Amino acid sequence: MTEDSEREEIEKLLPWYVTGKLGLSDTSKVERFLAQHPDALSQLQLIGTEQQETMRVNEAMGWPSSDTRDRLMASLPRSATPSRGRFARFGQFFRMRPALGTQWAALAMALLVLAQAAFIAVLLTRAPTYRLAAGAHEDGAAALIAFADDARAADIARFLADFEATIVDGPKPGGVYKIKLRNLDKSQLDDTLLSKLAEHRDIVRIVLPSRD
Amino acid sequence: MGAVADEASLIARIAAGDAVALRVLFARHHVRIYRFIRRLVRDAAVAEELTNEVFLEIWRHAKSFAGTASALTWMLSIAHHRAISSLRKRREESWDDGAACALPDAADNPEVAAQKRDAGAILRRCLDALSPEHKGVVDLVYYHEMSISEAAAVLQIPENTVKTRLFHARKRLSELLRQAGIDRGWP
Repeated sequence: MTEDSEREEIEKLLPWYVTGKLGLSDTSKVERFLAQHPDALSQLQLIGTEQQETMRVNEAMGWPSSDTRDRLMASLPRSATPSRGRFARFGQFFRMRPALGTQWAALAMALLVLAQAAFIAVLLTRAPTYRLAAGAHEDGAAALIAFADDARAADIARFLADFEATIVDGPKPGGVYKIKLRNLDKSQLDDTLLSKLAEHRDIVRIVLPSRD
Repeated sequence: MGAVADEASLIARIAAGDAVALRVLFARHHVRIYRFIRRLVRDAAVAEELTNEVFLEIWRHAKSFAGTASALTWMLSIAHHRAISSLRKRREESWDDGAACALPDAADNPEVAAQKRDAGAILRRCLDALSPEHKGVVDLVYYHEMSISEAAAVLQIPENTVKTRLFHARKRLSELLRQAGIDRGWP
């Protein structure tokens, strides 16, 4: 390497030497050169002045107007937001257009829920009719039953159908209903049958013999 | 390191849609970004608009922040790209305006004439007369105090090109000063 090319290579590094942003290896290289060529020290003064005036030029650029931030925040594109938190994701879920099969499944589920709601409404609002119905089964075996809190109306209906039972009274305090088992008389309602009723823990939480 | 991690976590929050984190990042850096852009485009209104565009881009693309460079390096890189693109669109800008560093003439009022005689003021005018390419590297190294590798990351050029570009910017500065009547003995 000629002396001129070496000088140029060092001069290219000097700005970072002055700002203290040069790596260790290059710093050593610069310091060796400066020790051998003291005339190059004048460059450090020039660079120091350049930096000082560059600072002043930049400071003279001032500040953006005070409403810049408000304009930025107002212009944030809602649709382009990468993600807007769990609530937005929740909303986004409902804005998604599902596949056709999913739409049919959702419709079927909605109808099922409506049917369950109607069934529960009947249970709650027409309890006296069960008492009337009881007339037809007055001599049948009776039991007191409370349904599980999370039992679905469709499962309750299936359970009653399986045991050929009918709700004839209730709800009483504690959510207890009286059921009649159509094809059984009182003598057949033994512990075995009560146990069979009680086995359906996902549907019933209490099964007791009725005194009637 | 802590500050770098803190900034990276801010950008991660922005990527998750946290507008408060964007406000914090804006409060910390918008003046630097604005000044960097304004020096390049030489127009306050355009610089404000581009500064907002930089933060909008950060908002949209925070997920792409790799974290290998500092957040400021990443932001200045976006700012540089925006400013240069804006200049290319405008094209009417005229650089290397030697008149900016001219000696006082009879038409100058006493204040302007005194300013022109002030070596510091002349140097500032010559710094302002540099091309955007030269201004960019000068500001990154002298004002933002970036290392060679950081400046290379902002300008998206090799490190050797950064060194050569600043070297030529300084030579051009000497030429402009000479035209303004100041010979600083280099190169």
